[in-house]
Amino acid sequence: MYRFVLRRLLSGVLLLFVITTVAYLLLYAGGGNIARRLVGPTASDAQVALKASQLGLDRPLPVQYWDWLTGALTGDLGRSWFNGQLVSAGVSSRLSVTLSLVLGAVIIAAVISVVIGVWAAVRRGWVDRVVQFVGVLGFAIPGFLIALGLVSLFALNLKWFKATGYVPITTSFGGWAATVTLPIIALSIGCIAAVVQQVRGSLIDALRQDYVRTLRARGLSFNRVVYRHVLRNAGGPALAVLAVQFIGLLGGAVIVEQIFALPGLGQITVAATGQGDIPVVMGVVVATAAIVVAVNLIIDLAQGWLNPKVRLS
Amino acid sequence: MAAVVAAVALSLTGCSAGGDSSSEQTSQTLTLGTLMAPKSFAAADSDFANVSPFYQAVYDTLLRMEPDGTLVPMLATEWTYNEDKTVLTLKLRDDVKFTDDTAFSADAAKQNLERFKAGTSADAQFLAALQTAEAVDATTLKLTLSAPDPAFLGYLSKDASFMQSPASFGNADIATNPVGSGPYVLDTAATVTGTSYTYKSNPDYWAKDLRHYDNLVLNVYPEQTSLLSAVKSGTLNGSLIDIAMIQEAEAAGYKNNAFEGNWVGLMLFDRAGTTNPALKDVRVRQALNYSFDTKSLLDAVNQGRGTPTTQVFPPSSDAYDESLDSRYPYDPAKAKALLAEAGYANGFNLQMPSTPLVNSSIFALITQQLKDVGVNVETIDAGNNFIADLLSAKYAASYMILEQQSDWQLINMKIAPNSAWNPYKYADPKVDELVKKVNVGSEDEQKSAAKELNKYIVEQAWFAPWYRPQNSFVTDAKTNVELQTGNVYPYIWSFTPAS
Repeated sequence: MYRFVLRRLLSGVLLLFVITTVAYLLLYAGGGNIARRLVGPTASDAQVALKASQLGLDRPLPVQYWDWLTGALTGDLGRSWFNGQLVSAGVSSRLSVTLSLVLGAVIIAAVISVVIGVWAAVRRGWVDRVVQFVGVLGFAIPGFLIALGLVSLFALNLKWFKATGYVPITTSFGGWAATVTLPIIALSIGCIAAVVQQVRGSLIDALRQDYVRTLRARGLSFNRVVYRHVLRNAGGPALAVLAVQFIGLLGGAVIVEQIFALPGLGQITVAATGQGDIPVVMGVVVATAAIVVAVNLIIDLAQGWLNPKVRLS
Repeated sequence: MAAVVAAVALSLTGCSAGGDSSSEQTSQTLTLGTLMAPKSFAAADSDFANVSPFYQAVYDTLLRMEPDGTLVPMLATEWTYNEDKTVLTLKLRDDVKFTDDTAFSADAAKQNLERFKAGTSADAQFLAALQTAEAVDATTLKLTLSAPDPAFLGYLSKDASFMQSPASFGNADIATNPVGSGPYVLDTAATVTGTSYTYKSNPDYWAKDLRHYDNLVLNVYPEQTSLLSAVKSGTLNGSLIDIAMIQEAEAAGYKNNAFEGNWVGLMLFDRAGTTNPALKDVRVRQALNYSFDTKSLLDAVNQGRGTPTTQVFPPSSDAYDESLDSRYPYDPAKAKALLAEAGYANGFNLQMPSTPLVNSSIFALITQQLKDVGVNVETIDAGNNFIADLLSAKYAASYMILEQQSDWQLINMKIAPNSAWNPYKYADPKVDELVKKVNVGSEDEQKSAAKELNKYIVEQAWFAPWYRPQNSFVTDAKTNVELQTGNVYPYIWSFTPAS
């Protein structure tokens, strides 16, 4: 197990290095005349040159990359070209917003999906059909429509929650809850729809296995068989889907953050990409790549814990 | 230039994200919505127009402009020009401290002006005429200009004279942590850069009667959906909003403070016919003016909110002449006749750029209206290079939304041969002569020359303006505001609690 973890960790770091290097070269090579954009079309050439040298863009690309890399290793990702903010500070403050949304949505989705998925797989019949139908519906309705509906009903009409804005959990828990509840619901619906189907499907498959019949024949209660044995076997695929959903939600959060005016990673990504604020885009790339690598690592470990066979491969 | 981009962004829809980290509000907090965040809080890199409130909260200016455009004392208590208007002497206050406890002085003012002129602000050319700045003593500042500039005093009430503590010039975090002497101090702990900016009172502020709120929160909403949600949920005391949102904002209890700050229409850049020979003939340019049904365009594009016009000068200007607005009524037959007279009976081809920043239906309307008189428009998608392409003389004519500034600023922005919005550098001796009079004449001469210049430009059809679109700044029942002449965003001193 120890070597397994180490191997995964090393390959994760290598992956991170490759992703960020490729991203850096692609972004900076295609950067265009950013200094001109920053000082405006009517600025003099001297102003453009001044801006370029302030940003260090007058140096060769390999030098710029080396500076960026050595800085990044010490946690210094530079400053935004557009608002002068430290990239590490900007990205980490926004990461906490996005992570509270995505983690909230994934946890809610995991709990609800397992409950509903087990119910549908065990009861079958009309319960199963209703779950399947609602699941397809939840999957088919775009997240932003759900978000807009939630805003107009629960925030603008009923005034139960905030329509826009974000309050950090450290400032006030109530305020935080009032600002993140609707976005989390909006994000979790599509996620629940996807995971329920997976839980239901793999549970039904597992219930058909011979060992279930054997265990039942030995006199174990149905509930005990389902919760102690079947769920553990069906858990692997469900966990994998949940991980994919988690990574997908990082992207899905972009639109939800826009609608609720939440200062999350999505918002900074859209703004930075639109402006060509490459240091910030790179910061976002580093953060998301690190999250994806970490999530995959955690899932691998969890799979290994659930199913010892994985550890050998 | 910032003003131009701001004007475009105002009428068009922004394209990135917005948000607000709202905390518990008291009646002493003013919360405003804006469309864009400032680039940098360093005074030498500052902009104005839409981002003016971000800076005004922390930086004082030498002069202050009242909502009606009158200049009044601020850090400078009095100012005088010499005979030929090239030496400006300002008397400065001696009781002002920056928030880092450095004292404000003539030397600090000199350093700030020099830095702004040499810096990377889009408005650095405001100080183009400034040759030398000299601190005669602690409270006397002498500015020497290379040539008279009637707009110079006005510039000293804007970003060009934001006063930052000289001790902070080298601060590593100056882009996000300003050090000024203004009414407020940026609360960096409660601020999310790019999204929401929280300001607290500056306890040592020297002009407390100008400050009407204890705290100020500026939220950025480049996304109209979330701005509308924020307005409808009552999060904001005031905001600049898109014309399409006015009805919903009014239904939510907001007051519509309407203003006309821009003009919309065609810029006919190539008056010498360099790239499109047809435009050399004044009759062709006049024909283009007759071709547009501006009233219907206004109804179709801006819900009829605005005023048709044929001139680029605003009604508040000395140059404005109401009678000129009926100079080119919609008359396609007349347009065709003029084209025929000019030798284009079969019409001609005209390339014009389009941009995704502008609703594509506008380009379809232009193409249609010009086709009716025989002009074949070829629209080329310039993407995000739209403004850069226009300013580099790539197109003979184009649709544009531009700000209507004060006379001298307007002349230097779109009429004078070296102005940015005269990309072909077109010059006309008569225009040059009138511009000179506006610059150095006596007050009466300036006024009559400006009027004559406007009439001449309209006769010569340098532009084909359609209308001045209405913009709106909405305020809630608790808040009063006075709109600012010559700026899309009201100045922060103009907001007061409704009693």
